[in-house]
Amino acid sequence: MSKGVKQLKFSKYLGLRILTWALTIWIGVTFIFFVPRMFPSDPVENMIGRIQSRSGQMDPVEMEALRKTLRVQFGLEGSLMEQYLSFLKKGLLQFDFGPSLMSFPTPVGDIIKTYLPYTLGLMLVTTVMAWLIGNFIGLQAGFRKHRLSSKILEAVAICIYPVPYFIVALILQIVFAFILNWFPLQSTIVTMGGFGMFIRSLIRASILPAISLLLLGTGWWIISMKSLSGTVAEEDFVLYARYRGLPETRIGRSYVLRNSIITQVTALAMSLGGVFSGSIMTEIIFGYPGVGTLIQKAILQSDYNMILGCITISIVAISTATLIVDLIYPLIDPRIRYS
Amino acid sequence: MKRRVSAFLVLPLLLLLVFTAANVYAVTEVGTPRRETLIVETQTPTDVPGQFNSYMQGTQMGFGIHQLMSAMMWEMDTVKGEQFGEVAAGFPESNEDFTEHIVRIREGIRWSDGEELNADDVVFTFNMIMDNPGIGASAYYNTVFESVEKVDDYTVRIKTRESFPRLALRFGVTIWGNDLRIVPEHIYSKVDDVTTFKDSNPVVAGPYTVHSYDPLGKWVLYERREDWQYSTVGVVTGKMPQAKYVLFKYVGDDTTRQMAMVNNEVDILCEVTPEMVEVMTAMNPNIACWYKDFPYATSDDPCSKGIAFQMAKEPFDNPDFRWGIALAMNFDEISLNIFDGVGRASALPILTATSAMQELYYIPLLPWLEEFELDLGDGTTFKPFDPDYAYRMAEILRAQGYDVPTEHDELIDMFGIGCWKYAPDVAEKLFIKAGLEKRTDGWYFKGEPFTINMTYLADTEAQAGRGLIAAYDQLVKFGFNCNLASESSATWDSNAATGNFEIAGYWPTGGITRDLYSQISGWDADLIVPLGERGSGQGSRWRNEEATRIIHELAKVSPDSDESYELGMEFMKVAIKDLPFIGFHSGVKFVPTNSTYWTNYPSAENPYNGPWWWWSCFKYITTEITPVQ
Repeated sequence: MSKGVKQLKFSKYLGLRILTWALTIWIGVTFIFFVPRMFPSDPVENMIGRIQSRSGQMDPVEMEALRKTLRVQFGLEGSLMEQYLSFLKKGLLQFDFGPSLMSFPTPVGDIIKTYLPYTLGLMLVTTVMAWLIGNFIGLQAGFRKHRLSSKILEAVAICIYPVPYFIVALILQIVFAFILNWFPLQSTIVTMGGFGMFIRSLIRASILPAISLLLLGTGWWIISMKSLSGTVAEEDFVLYARYRGLPETRIGRSYVLRNSIITQVTALAMSLGGVFSGSIMTEIIFGYPGVGTLIQKAILQSDYNMILGCITISIVAISTATLIVDLIYPLIDPRIRYS
Repeated sequence: MKRRVSAFLVLPLLLLLVFTAANVYAVTEVGTPRRETLIVETQTPTDVPGQFNSYMQGTQMGFGIHQLMSAMMWEMDTVKGEQFGEVAAGFPESNEDFTEHIVRIREGIRWSDGEELNADDVVFTFNMIMDNPGIGASAYYNTVFESVEKVDDYTVRIKTRESFPRLALRFGVTIWGNDLRIVPEHIYSKVDDVTTFKDSNPVVAGPYTVHSYDPLGKWVLYERREDWQYSTVGVVTGKMPQAKYVLFKYVGDDTTRQMAMVNNEVDILCEVTPEMVEVMTAMNPNIACWYKDFPYATSDDPCSKGIAFQMAKEPFDNPDFRWGIALAMNFDEISLNIFDGVGRASALPILTATSAMQELYYIPLLPWLEEFELDLGDGTTFKPFDPDYAYRMAEILRAQGYDVPTEHDELIDMFGIGCWKYAPDVAEKLFIKAGLEKRTDGWYFKGEPFTINMTYLADTEAQAGRGLIAAYDQLVKFGFNCNLASESSATWDSNAATGNFEIAGYWPTGGITRDLYSQISGWDADLIVPLGERGSGQGSRWRNEEATRIIHELAKVSPDSDESYELGMEFMKVAIKDLPFIGFHSGVKFVPTNSTYWTNYPSAENPYNGPWWWWSCFKYITTEITPVQ
């Protein structure tokens, strides 16, 4: 195949993939724009309800006046289509989602900017660490499956993986925070007492959530890698390498790992795309700040703008991660060509 | 051998020393000495960290802002149920038709930057609210006030557009707080837009200022003013708040809250369930509630819980049907199902049986209640009030091993003056009178099988939720076909306004003042809008001309007059006959405190205030809570 034909095929493939990427994002955000507005809830009534529930009865004249003021302030005037077009223009193209209704008038973008670094810091580190550790142990368990250490590691992974996340998290919290008092029960991050104090409090607050995510995340990678490498280890080319007398480490690294890791790279990319939505369980149990609880609160308080902001970022992240994986796949797997 | 014995003796002593030292020199997560820091829980994290301007939308006042910093015109003595002047020196002096009011300002209060608080600040605050449509209360203030002007440095003249006899009641604290909080004129007058000014470093008149806060919204650390003598609390009481620091923090879910309390990481929790109290008190003897032992909780929260009807729908609009529901339920069983029998019965519609209201309305109404009869539609009548509930519940609880008093007054204080009788046979007659039909396969209405849809708010407000579930059990036991559903707060509030419910655990109750106007004004039938629309009256849509007439009359009379009280009594009789709401108990609150670091919290033994940490009156409690020596 000539170079020109190859380039043409690649350009066509790239164009189609980018079109799919854009279409996926548009369908996703359109869906998430309309669905919350179909809920039988109303942010203005929620705000009035909150005021009433804490301060008793409200004067009827006062309630009506407040209702009108809030509708104007929250930008809920105008037709649904007008609001949608405004969102497409501002939200999707400029990432300006307007003010948060629950933290009015703070812009949604500012709030996400505050919480996203914590989510990304915790989730990226634990996802990558779990991937590295899990794949390393999984490779040992699959490639050298008759060793005792492999069997033990595999057994541990099989035991931990099915345990529901909140049980693992609660056990960690009860043992290390409640009984031993080594860590705080709820994450308290001190951001106003100097950089040293911030880092200390951040590390202290992150250890238990990170361990809980690592424990379960690693289990999955061990099991999947063990299965993949076990299959690859039985392939003819591995047997051939053994007959050639190649050292076991080289067979493991160059033959088994390279062939097994391809699927894992795809899965890693998908997991990395997913970190933008945070881990709601971790955030609730350990009180760790993050985007997960932000989305939960936004749903409960009908904060349409916040829901749109968080989910749009998540949709864009996952779609982009998928796009990148599709584009780099041929680089890591020579059997795949753009076609 | 000797060395070993010595080691065995020395080691525990060393450990004890280390533990004691750690306890004495313990610091909080935010770096303050634990012994100088009172740690108070907030129910939710704040969505707007660093925002302390109460006139900016969304400011979470309960995060210590109105408890420690805000300046109110009139505050509340929650024990007596009486207001007193905080920024105001006494009550308004009004003209005869209540359209002009002279308010005197208390002298001696200073802002935390040393400036005097005077009439300029009060006048500026009123006008700021009226001049800024972005402030939630602006439109309302403009409907009420014609002008607010300074007479001299410590006197303000307020003119209202119409007769307004309830100036202090509406613009001062009656229960939780109030939306009128005086701001420093010398700060706010220089701000371009007060509705977007976060006021992250506030100048305040309360006894505490902001030391630091969490940009993620989980805590705010307050520090006592060095010149606390000139704060509102200092000038009103002359007493110093004992804690140098007060840390308001979000503690987490129920499991974490319990663990934090047991580990002495928090001194005051907001509200828990009785099951949580039992677990915590068993694990840490320093934890207690209003009562040290059973019944633990205070019954003086002003929002009674029970069941609300949607009276724009049939047959819920029929008083006979509603009375049938009341008599079809066994209140003893409901009470045991909610909080194991704890709580003061608050059977009357709308009005909560707090201690003060029980004395003011419930007990005086008792003779009338005992004689009150229902017409059953078959030529017979029935007296529905049951005054023996307190004795009966005491007996049930004694049989369970609880130490329950025997004195009449104590029993009435603990369990209330009575409840509605359990009379399923009478209920059946009333349902038939209301147009229902009992067939072999269940109840029918207008020829169709009859089903009641019952809803409650999920996750929060255990008392209301458990009450509704208990009512569901009772009505199913009676023979009704019922559906039970929980709703998230997102749909709950919306359904309340649009009337999208049949029987629900809403609590359209509240108030502890003798004058009932603010508690009942929403029941004005003129405010009713069709189902599906959002109105300004109660979502229950109770249409009663007599009640509406009384509300209109009450609006015109002085809240302190005898006429106000008589009209309140008259309203209650109308409401009881029509039963727009069935009350179960007054607000029962289990609010635990931890006496490891701090003591002398308000309690049944020392009721100098109510245990309302989330109300603005908390600043007056801070002067009484003392450090453990």
